[in-house]
Amino acid sequence: MKVSRLMQSKVTWAVIAEALILIVCFIIRPDFFSISYQPSTGMLYGSLIDIVNRSAEITIISMGMTLVIALGGTDLSVGALVAVAGAISLKFLRWDVLTYNTPGDYTVYPYVLVIFVPLIVCALMGLFNGFLVAKGGMQPIIATLILMVCGRGVAQILTDGKQFTTGYSPFRVIGQGSFMYLPMPIIITIIVVVAVALFTRKTAFGAFVESVGVNPSASRLSGIKADTVILIVFMITGLLSGIAGLIYSSRIMSNDSNNAGLNFEMDAILAVVIGGTNMAGGKFSLAGTVVGSLIIRTIVTFVYYFGIVSEATMAFKALIIAVVIVLQSEPVREYFAKRARKKEGVSHA
Amino acid sequence: MHNRQSLLNRITNPKYIMVYATIGIFLIVYAFGAFMYSDKGFLTIRTFANLFIDNAYYGISAVGMTMVLITGGIDLSVGAVASLTGMFIAYGTTVLGLHPMTCILASLVMGVGLGLLMGWVIHYLNVPAFITTLTGMFFARGVCSLISRESIDIHHPFIDALAGWKIYLMKYANGQWVRIRPIAFINFNVILFVIMIIIGTFILQRTRFGRNIYAIGGNEQSASLMGLPSGRTKILVYGFNGLCSVLAGVSYALYVKSGWNLSLQGGELEVITCAVIGGTLLTGGVGSMIGTLFGVLLKSVIPALITFNGNLLSWWGKIATGLLLLLFICIQRFVVTSAGKRK
Repeated sequence: MKVSRLMQSKVTWAVIAEALILIVCFIIRPDFFSISYQPSTGMLYGSLIDIVNRSAEITIISMGMTLVIALGGTDLSVGALVAVAGAISLKFLRWDVLTYNTPGDYTVYPYVLVIFVPLIVCALMGLFNGFLVAKGGMQPIIATLILMVCGRGVAQILTDGKQFTTGYSPFRVIGQGSFMYLPMPIIITIIVVVAVALFTRKTAFGAFVESVGVNPSASRLSGIKADTVILIVFMITGLLSGIAGLIYSSRIMSNDSNNAGLNFEMDAILAVVIGGTNMAGGKFSLAGTVVGSLIIRTIVTFVYYFGIVSEATMAFKALIIAVVIVLQSEPVREYFAKRARKKEGVSHA
Repeated sequence: MHNRQSLLNRITNPKYIMVYATIGIFLIVYAFGAFMYSDKGFLTIRTFANLFIDNAYYGISAVGMTMVLITGGIDLSVGAVASLTGMFIAYGTTVLGLHPMTCILASLVMGVGLGLLMGWVIHYLNVPAFITTLTGMFFARGVCSLISRESIDIHHPFIDALAGWKIYLMKYANGQWVRIRPIAFINFNVILFVIMIIIGTFILQRTRFGRNIYAIGGNEQSASLMGLPSGRTKILVYGFNGLCSVLAGVSYALYVKSGWNLSLQGGELEVITCAVIGGTLLTGGVGSMIGTLFGVLLKSVIPALITFNGNLLSWWGKIATGLLLLLFICIQRFVVTSAGKRK
């Protein structure tokens, strides 16, 4: 009984898929799970650490995306917001490339602005998305398409279409520093995941989101302010995209408005869906999303091990994701449920 | 009932308001361009013909996308499939030495097959269209990169002839036909685009299949209860969209004469934007080919304006497109709410 219920849960399939990929990695490369300590940087090294580290941006964004999808929507603008956050922070670090023409260990404007202005702007852009959805009554996919189209344009115009680089060391800490032997992005990810989990599960907010996702009018009648819930969810997603944008641009110590956050919205949505949250809205699983995000990153690492060019990973990603999605699809799960019931019937007889 | 409506009633049907809005705004933007840059030749037929020549591949893809959107679905794989078609043609002719038609046929099998497969998964496995076609996009893009990571030039007499073939626009003056000045022409891509729009209009307006598309988009459950073949229709629509993506890829390959694994990245959203600006609702059930045609023109006139200005960064084009999208969605909201009130 318990096993059959587990087999019907989408999260189980995600965990099984991740375990299988890891096992194959281990068979190919027995040193896959080894983790070593590098005293010079004060950080742990290893493939597993690398997978978690590199999945940080997607995990952070997909925390917000989980809530958006639980509302029954999708947010396409997150990738563009990553580019915007990078552009703004680099703009404050360098301001005018002609006056400060060599990148070095300095910042033109205070570090507080470098960090908080991008976050505030991204949160406001998220709020704009939420406003269009909640007050304008638009479909989320369309409302966020606007910023997805404009966002990169805004990022480019903020930096006059130029790419700035910087060497400011406190900024480097965000993406390349370490804390408690772990790379900084992992620490930030853990903080974000715990914060979102506490906010949704320890307050009634998570229940509100699920309720609005299942039936907005019914939840409005039962006294939930659906509009406010939508506004907050989109604002959180915007803010988290901003955090991911800071990590991304700190990794490359530069802004890259063309490529920063490219296809992040797609990866984040996939992570959420693989993690077992239904795109139609309703129940969501943050733990599943984290597993989903790890799966996506593990596949990339996995394909590297076969020595296949990085762009072609997409094809393998597609194949593995297709298998996971087909296994999770309703008819297949029903088939398993039916078989489980049959077996039970036999044992009772 | 419908044929008893007077012409006036038919024209003022709220169904068409979005199309009128698209045409109206296109005319306003075009008139603005004509007013600002008439000295640089904005008002010539050449500029107008170039709108078609430079955007034919988006237009061809938008025909299929409009149908998918009317069923209430979405297809994110079109850019990648078009890019893969370009790779097939480039790799096939330049590296393998095949005839381009063989490559195009192989692409058609690939594109239509992938479309039908995605339609099947969407309908029978009940996987959201967004996720299914996203996986399709990743797959096609990945195969592009497997074929080659570098741009491959296409050198083949057949392709050169097809890409170089053009009809000059003529005028009748002093008893003979002469080319108009400045010289304006239309090419194979433009004709393909126009033919696809006509085919799309015919399918949507004049066939049972087209009416099924609208019915499914309006309400799939009631369409199925009425006995309409919703599964078959949806699968065929995705297959047709695959065909359109491949034709768009052929058209793009003729336009740039090369295949590149990263070409047309984000093209799917450009195409969806064209359809939405043209009055197609993403909720399904509403949309038309003529609207999409003007949506493509409206979206392509903005980069043209920025080129004519000469001082603006091309990025303003993206911002303008976003604002246009916002404007249209607001109009749509207004139309939908006012239509709801009238009921």
